[in-house]
Amino acid sequence: MGTPLADSTIVGRGGRDGARLIRDWFGTLAAAAERGDPSVYVFVMGSMAEILRAFDLPLVFPEINSLQTAVRRVSHEYLGAAEDYGYSPDICGYVKADVAMQLQGGKHPMGRIPKPALAVLTNACNTYMKWAEIWERMYKTPCFTLDVPGSRSAPQNGASTAADDENDRRYVEAQIRELILVCEKLTGRTLDLDKLATVLRHTNDMAASWKRVLELNRHRPSPYNALVDGTVYLGVLNALRGSALGAEYFRDLVEELEYKNAHDMGALADERARLLFVGVPCYPIFRRFHEIFADHGGTFVSSSYLWFAAGGLDLGFQYDLSRPLESLAEGVLKSVRHAGDSMLFPDRALLDAAELYEADGIVYHPVKSCRTVSTGLAGSRRAVMKERDIPCLFIESDMMDQRVVSEAQMKNRIDAFFEGLEARRLRLAGSAA
Amino acid sequence: MMYAGGVDVGSTQTKAVIVNERRELVGRSLIATGANVIQAAQEAFQAALDDGVVREHEVGCVIGTGYGRYKVTFGNAQVTEISCHARGAAQMFPGTKTVLDMGGQDTKAIRIRPDGEVVDFCMNDKCAAGTGRFLQAAAFALDIPLDDLGSTALRSQKPVKISTTCTVFAESEVLSWVAKGRHIEDILMGVHRSIAARSISLLTRVGIDAPVTFTGGVARNPAMVKVLNEQMDLAMNVSEESHFMGALGAALFALDRALAGAVQSPAAAQSAGRMPA
Amino acid sequence: MTVAPSSITSLAELAGRPLAEVLSGCRELLEDMDFPTVHAWKEKGGTVCGHFQVYFPEELAHAAGMLPVKVRGGPVEMRQADSHFGSYLCSVIRSSLELALGGKLPLDFFVTHPICDAARNLCGVWARNFAYPSRILYLPQNPNSASSAEWLRGEYARLLRELETVSGHKATDGDLRNSIAVYNENRRLIRALWAVKRDTPWLLGVDEAYALLAVGSLVRREEHNALLAAVLPLFASRTARKQDKVRVVFEGGFCEQPPLDLLGVVAQSCYVVDDDLLIGLRFLEKDVPAGPDPLASLAWTYIEGSGYSPVQHDLRKPKERMLLERVKGSGAGAVILAAAKMCEPGLDEQVAYSKALDEAGIPYFVTEFEERMSSFDQMQVQLETFVESILFD
Repeated sequence: MGTPLADSTIVGRGGRDGARLIRDWFGTLAAAAERGDPSVYVFVMGSMAEILRAFDLPLVFPEINSLQTAVRRVSHEYLGAAEDYGYSPDICGYVKADVAMQLQGGKHPMGRIPKPALAVLTNACNTYMKWAEIWERMYKTPCFTLDVPGSRSAPQNGASTAADDENDRRYVEAQIRELILVCEKLTGRTLDLDKLATVLRHTNDMAASWKRVLELNRHRPSPYNALVDGTVYLGVLNALRGSALGAEYFRDLVEELEYKNAHDMGALADERARLLFVGVPCYPIFRRFHEIFADHGGTFVSSSYLWFAAGGLDLGFQYDLSRPLESLAEGVLKSVRHAGDSMLFPDRALLDAAELYEADGIVYHPVKSCRTVSTGLAGSRRAVMKERDIPCLFIESDMMDQRVVSEAQMKNRIDAFFEGLEARRLRLAGSAA
Repeated sequence: MMYAGGVDVGSTQTKAVIVNERRELVGRSLIATGANVIQAAQEAFQAALDDGVVREHEVGCVIGTGYGRYKVTFGNAQVTEISCHARGAAQMFPGTKTVLDMGGQDTKAIRIRPDGEVVDFCMNDKCAAGTGRFLQAAAFALDIPLDDLGSTALRSQKPVKISTTCTVFAESEVLSWVAKGRHIEDILMGVHRSIAARSISLLTRVGIDAPVTFTGGVARNPAMVKVLNEQMDLAMNVSEESHFMGALGAALFALDRALAGAVQSPAAAQSAGRMPA
Repeated sequence: MTVAPSSITSLAELAGRPLAEVLSGCRELLEDMDFPTVHAWKEKGGTVCGHFQVYFPEELAHAAGMLPVKVRGGPVEMRQADSHFGSYLCSVIRSSLELALGGKLPLDFFVTHPICDAARNLCGVWARNFAYPSRILYLPQNPNSASSAEWLRGEYARLLRELETVSGHKATDGDLRNSIAVYNENRRLIRALWAVKRDTPWLLGVDEAYALLAVGSLVRREEHNALLAAVLPLFASRTARKQDKVRVVFEGGFCEQPPLDLLGVVAQSCYVVDDDLLIGLRFLEKDVPAGPDPLASLAWTYIEGSGYSPVQHDLRKPKERMLLERVKGSGAGAVILAAAKMCEPGLDEQVAYSKALDEAGIPYFVTEFEERMSSFDQMQVQLETFVESILFD
């Protein structure tokens, strides 16, 4: 144990400050909505915050807005409104929640969301494009799509050469320059290169910190829960990407987690099973989902969510401030591609993580809404289990739609999974004796 | 002699089993669950005791399983029916590597180790197609008793191809085949094949490794057994006691605990006022 | 419905036969899930490039000496593929894998495109199950960038390199020009065929046109060109009376394909005068121009001369405007807005299309289909009701 003062100031700071920062950020959005200020709608995979922040453009993350409706247990109302408007029950719940929000003038459980004056998206998710097309139709919002060519195959297959990568990087850079022109037209200002440098520097700090935050959970006991705490961290990571506040938050977070590790303060008092989580969290029963695992002593030490929903920031790419645009293009290409890999080609990364984090099992959580993450997970599980003797649970639900979330069925499977883990543990202990 | 009990509370039927310390099944009962689940669990347990001529205080531990496992209020613990079916199958058919449990509400595929430890499992509890419910829908549509479905289907010469994937629409498809003049047995065999295909799909997710043990209520359906064996090209283990597999597994888990001596008998627990909810 | 295996291993066998035999022969070949033409090609020592929906620059595989085959699923029984996927997914990705896993579709190379989030995963799914290369081809979703054509040219070059490694034949510029010429001709012939269907729909039903179109994706295109060239003049002498059917556009067949019987049901009450069925095979609407750099010309034509689809994002081509143009251009009076079950882009677009058609006052019929459906009674009743409401308005 550390000192009581250090304990009370440092421990839990990330959670407290994170919640406050996100609340404040939603406050700024509500104020912008009241004033009718222009805002930019962006996405977690390729938010281009670096450029947009250099233009002082307020960022709105529709993905975060939507997940908040589920966490606050009102997503079914939003989904219902969108389905009444005509959207199918079988399409992404994030999109529908946002449609409902737009239809009710930006009303949202955290306040109010401003309308989009511009939407910036990448091809990291196809649903982003269908989503932006909705704003185009609703508001005639100009939409800028940044093509970020992803991996042509599983990363270890070497489908691309350095020349191919440079072809890709050049394309990304050309598009970034086109985006800059769009922003200049929107704001009536030219790009402030000093501001850009500052934003890039802050992002570098955040990327390095994030990489460290992920590493720190290898400790036994793990200082945070990748799912519950991870979601808060991701909120700040995205909303405050490239800002001084964001950089400071993550420096503080690293300090807190290092402190906890130095004093062996785990997120779970009795950490009996270390698990990896693959997929998007079950937001409609967010707390309860965590509890079902925690009751068994299970905690999530890492999650692919912390890779792709961080826009690939876990790669820790450092922008070279001496060649900002060239380096930004390289960083966007590599990071967004990395985010894509963690969804489309997760096997190797999961096997490596299972070893690094000393995981006792992997929980695959495909969600109906997100085909990008979910489509290949059944196959991934088979492949992972074939390569390594590690128990893998497969539970399907959704990140928004409680109609396809059955807590009782989920608990049944989770209980069975832990029964299996326990029997396995006893068997391995018995054979070791 | 020490005894242990297992109570498997399903949505329609509750099964209870008593085993002795030699792991022999000495008492069993099966009743309709009805509306009062807690009562059903108690009644089934009492009936199993009567069947085995065992007194309650001789039972060292009781474990509840099934959908209503938390309603076995007099029990010492709960274990999922996945683990229980695995354990029960390994006991009844030693050497079992894969278990297919087809109940009225859900279907499970479980891959197990020789001692019954669950290696992997996959459940279909989201969709009734591929479960006994589909058979019930067909039985209802054709106005045939559920118990006659299997023997009727076995008479089929030219099975139809059922294309509906949804149990809700199965009825109307079945009726449309009747209207087209197809024989009942051919329609029923088509239904069986459709269910079998979905079950095999589930099994491939965990990997089909022989020997396969078939448990659950639907395992008593000879047509289903035949179709599955044909489609997988193997001979599954089937027992008359298939529907007791879960309760048996629960009883075996209970016996483990009782023998380990770490357990207060249910009677004692109840009188001490310590009743798990 | 069991279909007898086709005896046809080459479209040349249909040459010179009467139209009715050609049409039934094509349909037979199309429904044969044993893919005899593909196996015949393999047996002769050829290599096969399987490409998923929607658009693929087949000229590249063709120039490298391969047989480009459109992988588009089919009404097959799932035996192995389901366990590789979770729930809530369209059928076409599963049936496509089933065909490959079952050995029906023997490939040497597999390419998918990020048309949607499910399809993007096929590359990884394939890589786990097959030793031959599986790749994603990124077609630009920002074709409005001044740099996209140049980038795409580089991407085509990269892909071509990989195809050549598999086929063992390095494509010369001459090969590329030749392939482009073959496919330009193919697209011209298909446009001519579709014009017959549009202008004289009583002479060519949508299911027939579909069979004639789709078999092209199973053979070398030269063979398809020969067949189409032979068949086109035959329609003029067909004796069929013009009937009082509603002229419709069928929209929603860009990826998972509706069963032929469903098209047959539609054809009973409607003339499908235009559609997006297997649009990937005819996505380029302009000829790829001759020029010093064939790859650049091919890339340029994709950016500047392609059609539209819910899976293509291009600010110049808002889907609802393109649909209205298609309706107007084909003289249609109504639209069938179909979507494959669980198809996210298709289901999303249905909403925008519906609203645009409402505004334009064009009647439309919304439906969902699945490639494996075999009973169409419900849909037929609803469609007939819809048609009656238009005819007796």
